[in-house]
Amino acid sequence: MPDDTQPVDALLSSLLSALDAAPDDVPLRLHVAELLADRDRLPEALQHCTRVLSHDAANPAAVALLQRLTSAISTPEPPVFDWMTAEEQVADIPAPELAHVEDPAPSPTVEDIERPTVRLADVGGMQQVKERLELAFLGPMRNPQLAKAFGTSPAGGLLLYGPPGCGKTFLARAVAGELGARFYDVGISDVLDMYVGASERNLSQIFDAARRNAPCVLFLDEIDALGQKRSHLTHSSSMRNTVNQLLSEMDSLGGGNDGVFVLGATNHPWDVDSALRRPGRFDRMLLVLPPDAPARGAILRYHLRDRPVAQVDVERIVAATEHFSGADLAHACDTAAERALAASMKAGRLLPLTTADLDAAVREIRPSTGPWFTTARNVAAFGNADGSYDDLAAYLKKNKRL
Amino acid sequence: MSAAQRVEYLRELGRLDEAEREARAALASDPQDAGLLAALAAVLLRADRNAEGLAAADAATAAAPQEERSHRLRALLLSRLGRHAEALAAGYASVSIAPEEPLAATAYARVLQGAGRLADAAAVAHRVVALAPNSADSHFLLADVTSTLGDRRTARLAYTETLRLDPQHAAARHDLAVLDARAHRPARALKGLIDAGTMDPSMPQVLQTVTAVLWQLSWRLRVWLIVATLAALVTGTGPQPSGTARGVAAAILAASAALACWTARDLPARTRPVVAAALRTDGPLRFTWVAIAACVAVYALIAVTGLGILAGFVWLVLGLLGWLTLIVRVVRSRRSRRRS
Repeated sequence: MPDDTQPVDALLSSLLSALDAAPDDVPLRLHVAELLADRDRLPEALQHCTRVLSHDAANPAAVALLQRLTSAISTPEPPVFDWMTAEEQVADIPAPELAHVEDPAPSPTVEDIERPTVRLADVGGMQQVKERLELAFLGPMRNPQLAKAFGTSPAGGLLLYGPPGCGKTFLARAVAGELGARFYDVGISDVLDMYVGASERNLSQIFDAARRNAPCVLFLDEIDALGQKRSHLTHSSSMRNTVNQLLSEMDSLGGGNDGVFVLGATNHPWDVDSALRRPGRFDRMLLVLPPDAPARGAILRYHLRDRPVAQVDVERIVAATEHFSGADLAHACDTAAERALAASMKAGRLLPLTTADLDAAVREIRPSTGPWFTTARNVAAFGNADGSYDDLAAYLKKNKRL
Repeated sequence: MSAAQRVEYLRELGRLDEAEREARAALASDPQDAGLLAALAAVLLRADRNAEGLAAADAATAAAPQEERSHRLRALLLSRLGRHAEALAAGYASVSIAPEEPLAATAYARVLQGAGRLADAAAVAHRVVALAPNSADSHFLLADVTSTLGDRRTARLAYTETLRLDPQHAAARHDLAVLDARAHRPARALKGLIDAGTMDPSMPQVLQTVTAVLWQLSWRLRVWLIVATLAALVTGTGPQPSGTARGVAAAILAASAALACWTARDLPARTRPVVAAALRTDGPLRFTWVAIAACVAVYALIAVTGLGILAGFVWLVLGLLGWLTLIVRVVRSRRSRRRS
């Protein structure tokens, strides 16, 4: 089939050549403009039409053509966009990245949530703490109907408090193991973010992740930093909002969030906002003291297990390390190992670690729990009007510290 | 947001180790960043690592001598290190750069106070109050400086204003109680100390001050017992039971009870555990109170038996307590001198 546009194009070419020869020929230019407009070559048509009007402003045909061209140009027909082609064209363009990103707090991911195999039986000693955990938390969790019959609610969180380095995190992990739940360990660096609103969002995402992974023990470490007394935060509205968000998330646990058990840990429960200690939130507190004698023995044996030892009288070291935290005991074992290593290097042969090395190490180390108990004594004296710290006061009295 | 702001944020949260790590990591790539150096100096100041903090503040001042904050931090660090002349110069530089900045004036007042120029410190503290009249910390500074100066009236007013602006200001409540103790109002001081301890149980000095107030109260009771014992000895110390001895002993017991009730009339219910805790921390004080209780028990015995001669035992105990107090004072002042 012959193409009928070919003669018109030829005609246009000849007419344009004629226009070049006679640029002031107004009828010819107008005719050319009309032909161009018919061929959808609108900008060229407009150009010729404008020149016609510059010679003959009142030319009705030129004015009509101008109106036709203007309306056609101003409302172009929407082009049919081929999305598939466009996608293919941009497929190999790398995703844009910000020039400078300042370590945004990592969003909580499922990888942070583990399923611990450790059980309370794996915690050496600390029989009293284990019993209290069983009675105050695990029992009602395992027997919700029984708890309900006695008018107690398994909802709400448990706050573990005590001097640093005494195994609060390990206990929390063991609780998760006992409940057969996942364990989600949340530190303040997972939550706190200096960007306005980011800490609240992180907290919300963390609780959402825990709900998605129920049954789950959500362990909020250093809760005193996340839930500080709001009266201490008069200069930081961002931190106040974080506390409010935490309160809101804790409240929602009582509703349709079965299977999320919140455990908090802190060295300074007296710095935690009182609203966080109300019923349904952290309404139960458990004092985690420095390891007792059986626990100290277990910790010492654990830290000596892969070291060359000879005739170590663990019971003697246990007796000499009262009020030592787990971390202090680990430090004592490291120090004793350094002494044995130094002696070995001096002797030119392996001299195993002995009780004497441990004795010397223990004499060098002062229990790191001392400053905590100094503050705790004040707390038991001044801040125990509601009986929250009765356990602590009883312990201090027993140890003649109160 | 810059690394310096992140450091400040961590410092405000009390995460000093993390703040320091953050600051040093950022300084590794830009060691001359004055903002970061000042932020690090502020962290080290709060951690009481003054020599290291001074190095950071020196570097911050050298990098940006026009910045007021680095001079201010330098002044505070120098003052803590006992280099008062340099601290005063740095403090003056700070207030010269920003004469309307309350924090600069606060630091200068503290430096003047540390250097022993209390009158000048009080004048600057008044200026701080003028610059920030609605800040509890401004009034607390004025109260602290004027209290050290001995101007108890101004100090009391300023502490009261601090507590009006911030009713949970535990340090102001504690210091106001100290003023009460100095004004020989031990019961009122004890009440204030219990309030302060309840506001912030982690304040270590509260229990120490309670102990000092209990010493003061024990002294007051001992003076009363000396007067009472003199009266008992004068009225009759015969070996035979007598009605006069009974009457005098009963009168002493009644007066002692009235004095105790009057002293304890405004004390809150939670006084008992606080007093018990304070007594446990101080052996000689515990002994003193046990001895005083024994003296009162002796008067109860005299009231029952009529044996006035037993008052001699009270006199003996009071004499012993006098010696004990003297020895404790000497030993403790020597110990504190050795520590300083």
